[in-house]
Amino acid sequence: MIKRFITLLLLAGIGAIFASLLFTYVPDSELNRTADYYAGHTASDIGAANIVTAIIVTYRGLDTLGEVTVLFLASSIVGLVLSLGQKQHKTQRNRVAVGELLTTGSRFLAPLIMLLGVYVFVNGHLTPGGGFQGGAIIASGMLLLLLADPLRHFSHTLIATLESFSGLSYVALGVLGLFMAGGFLDNRILPTGTLGELISAGAIPLIYSLIGLKVGAEFSSMLASLSETEDLK
Amino acid sequence: MIYMAMATGFLLILIGFYGALTNRNLLRMIVAFTLANTGVNIVIVAIGYMHGRTAPILDAAVTASAAAARIIDPVPQALVLTAIVIGLGVTALMLAYAYKLYERKGTLDIAQYTDLKW
Amino acid sequence: MVNALYLIVAALTAAFLLGFLNPARRSAAYTITLLALTFMSCVSASWVWEFAVNNAAPVDIFTAGTEPPFAINLRMGLHEAALTLLVNLTGLLSALYLKDALFALGRRGMAVLLVAVMALCGIILTRDIFNLFVFFELAVISTAGLMLFSDDSRALAAGFKYLIVSQVLSVFFLIGIIFAYHATGTLNIDGMAEASLGMKTGGSIAFFMLFIAVVAELKPFPANGWALDIYESAHPAFAAIFSAATGAAAIYATDKLLLIGGAEWLPISTGIGIVTFLAANLLALPQTNDRRLLAYSSIAQTGLILAVLGQRDILGDSAPFIAGGLLFSHAIAKAGLYWLSGLIAGRELADWAILRSRPLLIFAFVTFIAMLSGLPPFPGFYAKWELVHMLAGEGRLALLAFILIGALIEAAYLFRWFGYIIKREQTDQTIACTPFQITPILAAVVGGWALGLVWGDLSASHFGQSNLLLALPLLFALSFLLLDWLPAWVKNTLAIAGMVAFFTLTYAEYDPLRLIFAIIFLIGGAIIFLASYDAHGRRIGFYPAAMLMYAGLTMLIRATDTFGFFAAWELLTLGSYFLILRGKRSEPHALSYVIFSLGGAFLILAGFALAAQGAPQFDLTSLSQLTQPLAPWVFLLLAIGFMTKTAAIGLHIWLPGAHSEAETDVSPMVSGILLKAGLFGLMVLLMSMGKQQLYGVELTHVLLWIGALSALLGNLMAIFEEDAKRLLAYSSIGQMGYALFGLALMNHLGWLMALMFVINHYIYKSMLFLSAGGVAKRTGTRDMYKMGGLITLMPLSFIATLIGIIAVSGVPPLSGFGGRWIFYNAILTTDYRLPMIIIFFAGPIAFLYLFRLIHTIFLGQLKDEHRKLKEAPFWIILPQMIFVALLMIFAMFPGLALRRVDTYLNQFFPEGGLSWAGNTITSSYGYWNPIAIMIIVCVIFGTLFAWLLFVNRRAQKVKQFNIVFSAERPFRPETTHYAWNFFAPYRKALGFLVQPFATRFWGTLTDLLHTTADLTRRLYDGNGQSYVFHLFAFIVVVYLMRIGV
Repeated sequence: MIKRFITLLLLAGIGAIFASLLFTYVPDSELNRTADYYAGHTASDIGAANIVTAIIVTYRGLDTLGEVTVLFLASSIVGLVLSLGQKQHKTQRNRVAVGELLTTGSRFLAPLIMLLGVYVFVNGHLTPGGGFQGGAIIASGMLLLLLADPLRHFSHTLIATLESFSGLSYVALGVLGLFMAGGFLDNRILPTGTLGELISAGAIPLIYSLIGLKVGAEFSSMLASLSETEDLK
Repeated sequence: MIYMAMATGFLLILIGFYGALTNRNLLRMIVAFTLANTGVNIVIVAIGYMHGRTAPILDAAVTASAAAARIIDPVPQALVLTAIVIGLGVTALMLAYAYKLYERKGTLDIAQYTDLKW
Repeated sequence: MVNALYLIVAALTAAFLLGFLNPARRSAAYTITLLALTFMSCVSASWVWEFAVNNAAPVDIFTAGTEPPFAINLRMGLHEAALTLLVNLTGLLSALYLKDALFALGRRGMAVLLVAVMALCGIILTRDIFNLFVFFELAVISTAGLMLFSDDSRALAAGFKYLIVSQVLSVFFLIGIIFAYHATGTLNIDGMAEASLGMKTGGSIAFFMLFIAVVAELKPFPANGWALDIYESAHPAFAAIFSAATGAAAIYATDKLLLIGGAEWLPISTGIGIVTFLAANLLALPQTNDRRLLAYSSIAQTGLILAVLGQRDILGDSAPFIAGGLLFSHAIAKAGLYWLSGLIAGRELADWAILRSRPLLIFAFVTFIAMLSGLPPFPGFYAKWELVHMLAGEGRLALLAFILIGALIEAAYLFRWFGYIIKREQTDQTIACTPFQITPILAAVVGGWALGLVWGDLSASHFGQSNLLLALPLLFALSFLLLDWLPAWVKNTLAIAGMVAFFTLTYAEYDPLRLIFAIIFLIGGAIIFLASYDAHGRRIGFYPAAMLMYAGLTMLIRATDTFGFFAAWELLTLGSYFLILRGKRSEPHALSYVIFSLGGAFLILAGFALAAQGAPQFDLTSLSQLTQPLAPWVFLLLAIGFMTKTAAIGLHIWLPGAHSEAETDVSPMVSGILLKAGLFGLMVLLMSMGKQQLYGVELTHVLLWIGALSALLGNLMAIFEEDAKRLLAYSSIGQMGYALFGLALMNHLGWLMALMFVINHYIYKSMLFLSAGGVAKRTGTRDMYKMGGLITLMPLSFIATLIGIIAVSGVPPLSGFGGRWIFYNAILTTDYRLPMIIIFFAGPIAFLYLFRLIHTIFLGQLKDEHRKLKEAPFWIILPQMIFVALLMIFAMFPGLALRRVDTYLNQFFPEGGLSWAGNTITSSYGYWNPIAIMIIVCVIFGTLFAWLLFVNRRAQKVKQFNIVFSAERPFRPETTHYAWNFFAPYRKALGFLVQPFATRFWGTLTDLLHTTADLTRRLYDGNGQSYVFHLFAFIVVVYLMRIGV
């Protein structure tokens, strides 16, 4: 009782901090300096129609590299945690009955979902979406396959190779920026092309595709690790 | 509108915190934090929102030269993506930990994991 | 120069490359990991070189071909280079250490380690606030992952608790970032600082959130339970990273953040830091688990550095020197200690006794705790010195006091631990370790000493201090570490030769006062070393310790400024502590010695700092120019500090145990020689500052009283002792009381008498300790009632003791009488009646205990079990005989030593000198002719002795009498000896005076600290939810303090 009261009291304190932020908040009427720069320079400098993408992949590319690393790290650790102290011999798991609807549906839907994922990350510099969204969509396709057949075994080696390949290429593209353009992760190692076309915005489509692959691979790896765990009583 | 969104975000954070402080079940705590993270994301997006403007994507309607006057702030949008991804990574990690903890000790009660203290 | 971005690129490339490898190819993966970490270390090292040696300007690194603030930028400067070097090296060495764990976990584990190191580098390098957040999250997640390296099954839960806390923090971080961005329109840290975030609407709260999120990573009290659990359960090599590298990165992040917050956030940083420092050190006191103890210590050190960051308004350009000194000392020492802990099987502090099987590891341990305690010659010492001086200069005395108190507590538990290692029972296992585990530890040792050199150099070039590691005496002492494999007699010869040589080379440089001390320290020390020839084998550890003490003593008398004096003081304290600890049952006594000494040293430090008033350098002679109201306080601090060394009453409780439990040849060193360091300090103090008044009280008058009471009570306590060496130890308290009294008289004769005591006490106390030690060695006991009748078996020891007690008691003809004579002359010239009466009383009491040494040990009946005893070993007798000769010479020709001093004292006390004519010394009250007295006494004694022989020529020798054994078996054998509890009636009458008040007082104080700590630490109940709770409480409290409720 007392504990709950103190909890509420503390949260009231935190709430008060939030409230003072809320009440002193004045919305901007103009873009601030940074946003204004992006609005004015993205088209000419980066050549990406989607300004958010330009920020994510180029201007704040280091963040995004970190972000991809977060996923890489998370999937590695999830794999590590779940394999911790695991016995080598896998107990035979019972086949769970999944409905006809799911099985058939997944066969039909999974390729389409994957295709959509690829579309989303390839067009990241033009439309809303990008590597993370595309990667997540791809992984959802994998999830569907797993739901339809929980015993399906994904090749960890394949996933790891895909992970490593996309990650390394991403870093390599970044380093190329140091030599061929203005700096690390500069997208202008390739011509920026015409605004709004698929092949434009320099290395952004390439990088975002790699990110898409990488994210898809990481999510799939996590899903695969989780699916290989046993049910606990 | 912005204030509403922001208030909702803050409220979600507080609800998340309350949940994390009062639920002893590991899974519920994880869910509570997911809630709080969602709240944070709403607040971030709300900051970037500007009334009467459109998404920061250049096309025929929003030309490069007019962009500065037509689009909302793109930066919070970029940040929120990162925030979401990181939140997701941590959540996945916590779930895996919770699974392993349960496997080892057979309980999800956080008050049972007090072997280390003082 | 290699672009700093390659730090990140290399780690990521390696981490991703590992995925291509077949999971079974562990060694290939391990090689890649090591290569990447080596490369990263080399990059950082090359930058350190570039900045430190070539004085290059910091480099900004742009990404995305766009200038900041529109794209993320990194910065590489000296600070970043040094910190990333620390991070990368810790990572590399830990990777070596973790070899087995890494092989077990495979490539994914290695990838996690690489990313962790990369993330920490990123935190240090980045200049973008959101980027900082990303790297922070990477660090958090990899921390959770690295917890899996542990064999401890509790590590998983600890990792989970950490994730919970970090979730809360990331919420605050993100909200803070977005509102700060909204307020300033930028995410660039420098941009935010330029836009002065705090001034904008909502900016202050936004900053508050950022601040909380980053400061919480520094584990502030009480929101740090999660960190303790991580430290305790993690793999030691990861704990090393977490303490050294993660801690360093978080501190630097805080530093960057404070750039945004500006001056108004400094006090709160200091507040959080110092509370954490004190609380964590206090809570560490009752710890018995080694890793948790180190955890508390880590948290405390980080708190201290945070407090220092909060003082940058007054530290200015010196802040990096100070914070860096503390940070690097802490990081290296902590990493080293955690690595060491991996070699120890048990988790109790006492389990570390196993280290004794590896002297090299003991040396490593000593290096580490000396670094943590801020002892010379390590960076922490220089940092502490400057910090305390600057705080005192600006009058921030409360903070100064807190820092010193916390540091003392920390030193107490670290040295207690060292005592366990040296003294606790050792299990018969040996340490099993691979070269992969030893290399990191040795690297840390080398790094620590190297940094000591660097910081000494910086301190010399920036503040005009001296680089201690270049001081000849210290180098000479340290060289014994390398020579420790030689047999003891070789080292002994080297030591004697070195001390005598140093004296011969330098004796012309001392003034007469210092010359007396130089003779005692160097030549006197060499004479006592003769007794050390008696030891066999290699005597590992003895010579480095002893020489460290002598080096400190030598540097003490050669010091001209306060810095040199204080450094020497700490060195001699450390050396003598190691010496004292060598005794068989000396663990608790050595501990109380070192705590009192360090406490005293801190008072001295505070006194010097107060006196300097912020001046970087301060000559000892400038003490005389201090004025009211400062001067009496400086005087008080220094006087108390010095009196801890002379064991003035109330501060004496360490002495009896420390001196009596020490080894035979060590007792004279720490008694005959070491105590003089305190007197020397007092002389320097009184000589330069003279009489001081505080609230109308004459402080020298207080010293007079303390001296008189020490003399009385020291002597009283001595008479009730059964243990010969303890008796001598208590007698030292009394003797030092006399000397203090003489100094405090503040007149010519008083000082002369004090100097006489300095010389006399050295000679007779060394001699008596040696003969008592020799007897104890032969009989196997120090209890006097177990001896008797040894006069025929150990005649030389008897002679030494006899001469010794004649000298101590101050009866004619020996030099003690000269001392008394000057002394009585001295007190007659002053008018302090009561203390004078007390000190008169103390004289006869000395007889009471002194004669027991002869009467109980050498006279009376020989015990059965002692019939076959031989005289003490030659090497123990030899110095005693030298002392006998010295005493005789000094008794007959006191002018040899005193005449020049007498003249020298004229410049301070022109009045009341003695006049020296031929063999006669004249004062205003009478004259003294030592040679005449000697002749007279000898004639009388000779006559009486001859008459006695004549009278007793037919006396029969009494055979063994054992009446007390007839018909009964005594319950307690000691009660059958007539000399047991010899002064029982006196005890009845005067016992109230020797109640252990002081012991009880200090005991209660420590108990109180322990109990408080034990109750408070229950806060950390282990529940992850409670930790979140603490965090929220911390946030709310800081917020309330910030808005000033």
